[in-house]
Amino acid sequence: MSAIVSDDDELINGLGSEVVITKPVPGNHMARTRKRWSSGSTEKRPKVINKLIDGVHTDVAKDYISPGQLYSTESGRLFHAGKILIVLVGLPATSKTLLSVAITRYTRWLGVRTRSFHVSEYRREKIRAEKGEVPDDYFSAKPTSKEGIQYRKEILSKMIQDMTEFFDEKKGQLAVYDALNILKDDRSSIEQAFGKLHIKVLFIESVVTDPVLQKRNVDLAIKSEDYKGWVLKRAEEDYMERLQANKYLYQEMSPEEKLSYVKYINFGEKLTVNNNNYGYLINKIVFFLMNLRDKRGCVYFARCGTSVKDKYIDDEELNGEGLEYSRILTDLVLDLVNRRRLNANDDGADVPRTPSLVSLNERSKSPLIATSASLKRTESTGNAMYRQPASGDGVDDDSFVVWTAPRKRTYDTAKYFADLGITVRQRNQLQQLHPGVVADMTDEEIREKFPSEYEEYLRDPYHFRFSRAESYHDLAVRMEPLLLEMERMCGDILIIGHESTLRVLYGYLMAFSCSEIPRLTFTRDELIEISFGPFENKVNRIPIVMD
Amino acid sequence: MPVYTVSNVQNIRVCVVMVGLPARGKSFISQKIVRYLSWLSIQAKCFNVGNYRRQHAGAEQPNADFFDFGNKEAYKIRQHAVTMAVEDMMRWFNEKGGVVAILDATNSTSERREWILKLCRENAIEPMFLESWCDDQDLILRNISEVKTTSPDYQGIDPDVATKDFLERISKYESVYEPLDEEVDKDKTFVRLINVAQQVIINRIETYLESRIVFYVMNLHIRPRSIWLSRHGESIYNVEKKIGGDSHLSPRGLQYASKLPELVKRSAGDVDLTVWTSTLVRTGETAQHLPYKQLQWKALDELDAGVCDGMTYEEIEEIYPEDFKARDDNKYEYRYRGGESYRDVVIRLEPIIMELERQENILIITHQAVLRCIYAYFMNVPQEESPWMSIPLHTLIKLEPRAYGTNVTRIKANIPAVSTYKEKGTSQVGESDLNSGNSRSVLTSAPELNEQQEST
Repeated sequence: MSAIVSDDDELINGLGSEVVITKPVPGNHMARTRKRWSSGSTEKRPKVINKLIDGVHTDVAKDYISPGQLYSTESGRLFHAGKILIVLVGLPATSKTLLSVAITRYTRWLGVRTRSFHVSEYRREKIRAEKGEVPDDYFSAKPTSKEGIQYRKEILSKMIQDMTEFFDEKKGQLAVYDALNILKDDRSSIEQAFGKLHIKVLFIESVVTDPVLQKRNVDLAIKSEDYKGWVLKRAEEDYMERLQANKYLYQEMSPEEKLSYVKYINFGEKLTVNNNNYGYLINKIVFFLMNLRDKRGCVYFARCGTSVKDKYIDDEELNGEGLEYSRILTDLVLDLVNRRRLNANDDGADVPRTPSLVSLNERSKSPLIATSASLKRTESTGNAMYRQPASGDGVDDDSFVVWTAPRKRTYDTAKYFADLGITVRQRNQLQQLHPGVVADMTDEEIREKFPSEYEEYLRDPYHFRFSRAESYHDLAVRMEPLLLEMERMCGDILIIGHESTLRVLYGYLMAFSCSEIPRLTFTRDELIEISFGPFENKVNRIPIVMD
Repeated sequence: MPVYTVSNVQNIRVCVVMVGLPARGKSFISQKIVRYLSWLSIQAKCFNVGNYRRQHAGAEQPNADFFDFGNKEAYKIRQHAVTMAVEDMMRWFNEKGGVVAILDATNSTSERREWILKLCRENAIEPMFLESWCDDQDLILRNISEVKTTSPDYQGIDPDVATKDFLERISKYESVYEPLDEEVDKDKTFVRLINVAQQVIINRIETYLESRIVFYVMNLHIRPRSIWLSRHGESIYNVEKKIGGDSHLSPRGLQYASKLPELVKRSAGDVDLTVWTSTLVRTGETAQHLPYKQLQWKALDELDAGVCDGMTYEEIEEIYPEDFKARDDNKYEYRYRGGESYRDVVIRLEPIIMELERQENILIITHQAVLRCIYAYFMNVPQEESPWMSIPLHTLIKLEPRAYGTNVTRIKANIPAVSTYKEKGTSQVGESDLNSGNSRSVLTSAPELNEQQEST
């Protein structure tokens, strides 16, 4: 029998002694001391949260705990995945920035300390700092002028330095390096440099062969900050020149390079994963990439209408005011969606969608402007000649779906949409946070009835569970599939839900930490519209005016 | 109770059509997918065409000639078997509300695949083809030796004869095999696994559930390996009949820890393995003498009993009588005040399961509830039963995942320990006679049992 290992026991009982249990000791004398989450209570909480800013680019605090994190560790790293550098590869206009931001958002939500490093940001920063001009050939992966070579070198080495520092000093687990990296030599030197530091390197190469997709990406680029004040046509020429110069230099990745890489073709239409043996985290990212879609639509959030008592306990129907609210909400959302669609069709930038005779016919029945995608859908169902429409919602880029919680008043809030023939889905995962014993109690009442629990709740409102209740963390974990499905939606989606579920969804889309999420507010007089940008998501709050 | 782990299965139908030569791990992958989805409470079923051929088409143990594509008579029988399988599958979708069906067959010609594609599409389903392509001879040979010993086609047949016949059968298929083509099939939904997961090609995945299946399959490998499971040695709290806590081992528990290296060695021989423990003291102490690489996982920590942590069952019954009863009524869903339910544990274990699938030989030293969940996953134990399984202390369990099921072996340390098993409806711990009541011993009532008790 080996000696008892604890030093304390040896001090008490003498060196080398053994503790023999003679009789049970009453009470929880060897209680669990570590919680599933080391408390995030030291995190300073801002009094007022500016809810309009996407937090995906802000640094994470040392003791940051993210919404979907299953547990926390001292090192700040999860899944025994080690440190990983993801290197984006691809020509301009291949959505590299979008991909790196999306990966950052998702992995951070999972609890990974991720940061993306964008070459375009570094360049802009350098311009701001030096008030200088960018050398003409800087945008080539292989500049030829002395200034161009120097400028490029300075930016890239600053990035490498920052990424190294992120891994070494900021408990970083995952860095995403967003630059061209279209040359074999560039890639192998990154692999070597970080391999030496025991950081695994995974390349994600984005290839766009679909001309429609490419055009859309170019259109996005020429409306970016880089071309502020330019004539669109001139901007396009300039950007295409940038693209052409690099196209000529581009060395597409192949297995011969012996690197681990994911080839991501036409925004996820096809993915190939090569030599991936980096574990769970990378597979999880590939999983995420399978669900990421090029979003044309917006996500709308709205509360449900009012009912007579407005209590959790009763599953009530809407009252008169609630019905009126629903009607106004329906008109407002349809109007917004239609207006955006009309603009998109007018704008030469988007894919031209000529409404055919049939679609005009369709249009008279549906409150939404129909496009070719929805027509194709009806045509192909059950016909062996065609691919079958995917059984999920939101597959087409002109889809519009309403998700509601399975409670009567939320479902009823969508009734006018359903009457108009729009898909309304009750989603179990949108069931509001289960309040347990504190259902329908005010803060005052809770404080009075459950004083010690209330105190603990205030310390960590995100993870604390009242008796029988769910915590926000529970809610987030059970809603993860919805997040991925939301990423999968190409078109518009309106989510009518309880404040607790809206907080979690909004928290993901706008990258809030778990100390902020429980304190976000959503009221009945506002519709939230989130639109997706490659670099950040944008919020628009639209008043819902009751007559 | 809502299904927590995956979304919107209403109106979703996924049909996975396996593709590949014999001995490429197709059945293994199919079985795995079914297990994984069932573990996540999603209706899934595998339709194995070989079974239809054996049971309904009257070809129980045919030899290789049967699989000759020139053999008209046999081809008819095979066609009949696949038709029955597909018809059953559609019936299962339409009448039983099935969500994920797997058509497990070689489907090696594009003609056959087009035929299935047509049938599926007429039922408004876009199938997902899942091909396992492999030219790694080692891997194939290992699979062959596995098939010849476990496939019903070769039951009771001399292994050498079986191997020879099976190789011949494979060559018949090779002569007509047309792998999925990235160009020709570019409009279909398909996944190609090249040499397990050395390269994975994913084409036109269009639903969340499909992506989830692909994600899972990417984590699988078909190299043979074993997983050993053990609870920590008897702890001081076990002796005191308390649940949870973070106590040290009792002297008998420490004895188990000392004996564990020998037990593992006896079962594993010289193979290398990695030890996973939880972050609680008692699993670390149990692993302390093991001469292998060790990793700690917070996700392996015991089910959190919340306010009941550190109490005896008797105390819980006294202080929280309603909770005590509620837990007995639905142990899987019951969540301790401020703690976790079995379902919560399953959700947090998912990354562990994925990582476990990716790894080779692993020894997991963890806790009763966590072990029940892991065991339930490998052995396909339904969730009404899994929380009630008895997993005794001081016992090493060996799992060997195989194409047609998982083999279980248990190795008892023969070091006495208290029983921590609590039957339904009582606050007393300890197992009563097996035939007397609700007790479910993991090793006597679990499916796919293959008990080889060690005696020392």
